[in-house]
Amino acid sequence: MDRPWLAQYPAGVPAQIDADAYASLKDMLAASCARFAELPAYSSMGTAMSFRQLDEASRAFAAWLQKVARLQRGDRVALMLPNLLQYPVALFGILRAGLVVVNVNPLYTARELTHQLHDSGAAAIVVLENFAHTLAQVIESTPVRTVVTTQVGDLLPPFRRVLTNAVVKHVKKLVPAWRLDAAVDFRQALAAGRARTFDEVMLGHDDLAFLQYTGGTTGVAKGAMLSHGNMVANVLQVAAWIGPGMKDGAETLVIPLPLYHVFALTGALSFFNTGTQTVLVANPRDMPAFIQALKGSRLSAIIGVNTLFRALLDAPGFAEVDLSRLKLAVAGGMAVQQAVAQRWKRATGVPLVEGYGLTESAPVAIANPVDIPEWSGGIGVPLPSTEAAILDSAGQPLPPGEVGEIALRGPQVMKGYWNRPEDTAQVLRADGWLRTGDMGTMDEHGSFRLTDRKKDMIVVSGFKVFPNEIEDVLAMHPGVLEAAVIGVADERAGEAVKAVVVRKDPALTEADLLAHCKLHLTGYKVPRLVEFRTEPLPKTNIGKILRRELRDAVPEMAASTAPVEPA
Amino acid sequence: MASKPAPYRPRRLVLRDGREVTLRAITESDAPAIQRAFDRLSADSRYQRFLHHKKQLSPAALERGVHPLPGQAFAFVATVPGPGGIDIVGAAQYVRAAEDDATTCEFAITVAEDWRGIGLARQLLASLLRRARRDGYAAMEGLVLAENAPMLALARKLKFVVEPSSPDSSAVRVLRMLAPPPPPAPAARAQT
Repeated sequence: MDRPWLAQYPAGVPAQIDADAYASLKDMLAASCARFAELPAYSSMGTAMSFRQLDEASRAFAAWLQKVARLQRGDRVALMLPNLLQYPVALFGILRAGLVVVNVNPLYTARELTHQLHDSGAAAIVVLENFAHTLAQVIESTPVRTVVTTQVGDLLPPFRRVLTNAVVKHVKKLVPAWRLDAAVDFRQALAAGRARTFDEVMLGHDDLAFLQYTGGTTGVAKGAMLSHGNMVANVLQVAAWIGPGMKDGAETLVIPLPLYHVFALTGALSFFNTGTQTVLVANPRDMPAFIQALKGSRLSAIIGVNTLFRALLDAPGFAEVDLSRLKLAVAGGMAVQQAVAQRWKRATGVPLVEGYGLTESAPVAIANPVDIPEWSGGIGVPLPSTEAAILDSAGQPLPPGEVGEIALRGPQVMKGYWNRPEDTAQVLRADGWLRTGDMGTMDEHGSFRLTDRKKDMIVVSGFKVFPNEIEDVLAMHPGVLEAAVIGVADERAGEAVKAVVVRKDPALTEADLLAHCKLHLTGYKVPRLVEFRTEPLPKTNIGKILRRELRDAVPEMAASTAPVEPA
Repeated sequence: MASKPAPYRPRRLVLRDGREVTLRAITESDAPAIQRAFDRLSADSRYQRFLHHKKQLSPAALERGVHPLPGQAFAFVATVPGPGGIDIVGAAQYVRAAEDDATTCEFAITVAEDWRGIGLARQLLASLLRRARRDGYAAMEGLVLAENAPMLALARKLKFVVEPSSPDSSAVRVLRMLAPPPPPAPAARAQT
């Protein structure tokens, strides 16, 4: 296949990566731990952990998973943690033990958590105590047998640990009461693991590393099977892309985006591979603490989403952050707004480099060259060892300039959806091409641009929201007759969730409905806007909803013939 | 437009996996079976049919569904013997696309999950095309979820044109022009 984009690669970026350089992601991580041993690998709340310490702690956790929890190779382990030092320790421990990581958003509601634990068949979970009450509500009905709980300060030095844990619990009152029988404390698990022998597991490219959950148009979250081979490839691809300007063992990355988000995860692991110190920011909404972390870090790179860069630019104190070493700012997960890109460039001297990908591609597949002078408005060119094409609705490639569906092929493309062969067959072709559902164009130089999404997906601050899931929750309310959800432009979040509702109970208020939503949906999925209509939602005569007409300010009358219902 | 709908004689179909169904016009006594068929459909399938989350069929809509307006609308059901007499495992229907346009009809097809991949949808849609042409329509259109690849593939096979995806919508329109109805069958051969 013709790869016109190769001519646009900056000097030093190879056309191909050697995905066989490591047999598995865990071997790659272990190699970095050995190579950069005494350098700081991760830091959080002012405390650093070296590559050697991470190696030791993750090995202890792996031994505990093998010998005490008695998990078997291939078992799934859920991680319900924000960006704390426990995250990389647990992550590497799970991978080293030959187990599969299931990332869980800690803010998930009971309903969302139940689905993910069930669907993945997770045998164990590592959860921050602040979120244990959610798990406690559902654990009885899930396959989870082993629970490890941890407190925010657990991996900080002794005095700070006790202080931090006490403040989180008793002063900030961030730990709702919970009770989980037989839950094991993370520190106890590490201690017990240190007393046991860890048995090295031989893993290959085909072994699963992650079940990374992603929504679907029809509302059910599916687990993308990302293998060790997928992850090794994407980490090396991203590392090759950012490599030329970066010096091994000498950089500092700030990561305010949660690591359970695949873009943050792979991005951070790419930097880990080159011995970078990664500064974990647990809660970027706590802007004073975030600015403090930036001031203390002398950062050379940062990974975020448009909303976050925008919030930083507006934050008091950002102007005083020392950005003299900043070389790279990477944005993904959502479209970058031109105004934000321009302000960022003016304020920092470094362009916002936008990348593109899907959970299903581990995720990065297309990115702007890191040496672009300005924001391009496009998503860039395919990474090394990656092919991209624009396909028509019959799956045939289209010539440059024409709008079609973006398709991707490369070693980072997932093996499929966990236990969903039919869903897999819909997006993954036999010849290896992944259909993204995103519409776009390619120019004659091989640069890609997004035009529209094929799916009715809403992206709120980099998080995907699928209307059907929200409609499902709205429909659960007895006062709702009909509901539809659409995305509307939002200056801050890029897009916001809007619910259009026809009431069954005329007394139903917006507040009632939002309270109901908050019970069943993570915050970013809860509608920001609610519009009540008295007419039925606009539909074709045969009963198919017309989403485009939902966006009109003036409610459309439904056709005079009521829809005919089918079998 | 034919004012009197031609009757439709039930037909037995043998599907690719050897299972058989009866294809016939919907009748008002099908309402309970339609309701059961809807209840068995997964949330995904309902979404594909209605393009939004649909919790239940309203009694009024069900009533209208089993009484297609003669000459303007039609519905086929594919049935198999079931505990309550019959089970409906597939349905295809068309209705007039707009009140003021007698030339175009809109279609919808639903096949039970465990009856897919064996040619039933194709039979239903092909029958529906013939029926619509006979009823005097010049074109048939439909709205299909853009990621519903099997339905789009079927539409293409049956010579529908798939219009490019419209901005900010996940559904695409498919359109098929219908040839004029065939000339009346020649009179029965004269007796010799």
